[in-house]
Amino acid sequence: MYLRDCVGVWRIDMALRLTGFASGVAFGFILGWARLTDYDVIRDMLLLQKPDVFLLMFSAMLTSAAGVRLLRTFKVRSVLDATPITWATQMPERRHLVGSTLFGIGWSLAGTCPGPLAAQLGRGQIAAVFTIAGVLTGIFIHDWIRVRRQSVVTLGEAALVAGL
Amino acid sequence: MPIVLASRAPWFVAGPLIGLLIVLLLWVTNKPLGALGGYIEFDDWATRARSTLGWRAFFIIGVVAGGTLSALAGPGWRPTLAYGSFDAVLGSALWLKVTVLVGAGILIGAGGRIASGCTSGHGLCGTSLGSPASFVCTTTFMVTAIACTFAIAWVFGV
Repeated sequence: MYLRDCVGVWRIDMALRLTGFASGVAFGFILGWARLTDYDVIRDMLLLQKPDVFLLMFSAMLTSAAGVRLLRTFKVRSVLDATPITWATQMPERRHLVGSTLFGIGWSLAGTCPGPLAAQLGRGQIAAVFTIAGVLTGIFIHDWIRVRRQSVVTLGEAALVAGL
Repeated sequence: MPIVLASRAPWFVAGPLIGLLIVLLLWVTNKPLGALGGYIEFDDWATRARSTLGWRAFFIIGVVAGGTLSALAGPGWRPTLAYGSFDAVLGSALWLKVTVLVGAGILIGAGGRIASGCTSGHGLCGTSLGSPASFVCTTTFMVTAIACTFAIAWVFGV
């Protein structure tokens, strides 16, 4: 019995959003509870003074790695839409190095990254408002440049087709 | 409030719980966990590139709510402009704080977008799914962030 059979495909979207919200609440609570929202916890980690955040990330990764493989081995289907549990992997490209280098500098300066950043806002850390404004701006700038590049390419192609 | 929630969660509790959350989300929705996608959805929504907010935006709204709950269960919800030793390391003047944090945010947003993932998407989820790009990304931003933090500590002498 899957949710798809009970509510129909058109309601899956809302169920997906509700699941997203619920897992977000759990994620934000754990991040705050573990104080990954504190500038000093991240700084102590990045100055290699305390190992606990590395251990936290490593244990999360190992737990998840074991769990998701169990799901795949036993051919479990997703609760919401009954699709077989699967995932895509990516091969490394130049953009991964470039992007992650910029990301690392930002992470170091702000002492936070997108997940804990949202939890910071919830915990009443007003500094998060500035960082979030920056993140949204950064994504906007990236997409704006990409769209312009694409339109230049498209214009070029159109000019070629038109025989200019 | 129960004392266990008031004190900080040790890594061996918080880590496996986050791992289980990734498994649970994949089981229910068949989607990988990641925080940055929510911000991207907000941007796309604001620029009319999409008409409604998707589940990743709702995930981020949930993270904000979860953060509030963690404060209420722990030290209490007290809004503050103070930002730990950031104020001592980089300065507590408001204009400086806004400039540094907005600038850092732009690097996080654009960098994460270029690399198609952040500390949760690549660092926790992607690595556990065995994605080679995620290992490259995680190593890169870890090394960069550690080097940058050491450089800041060295330059400012704190």
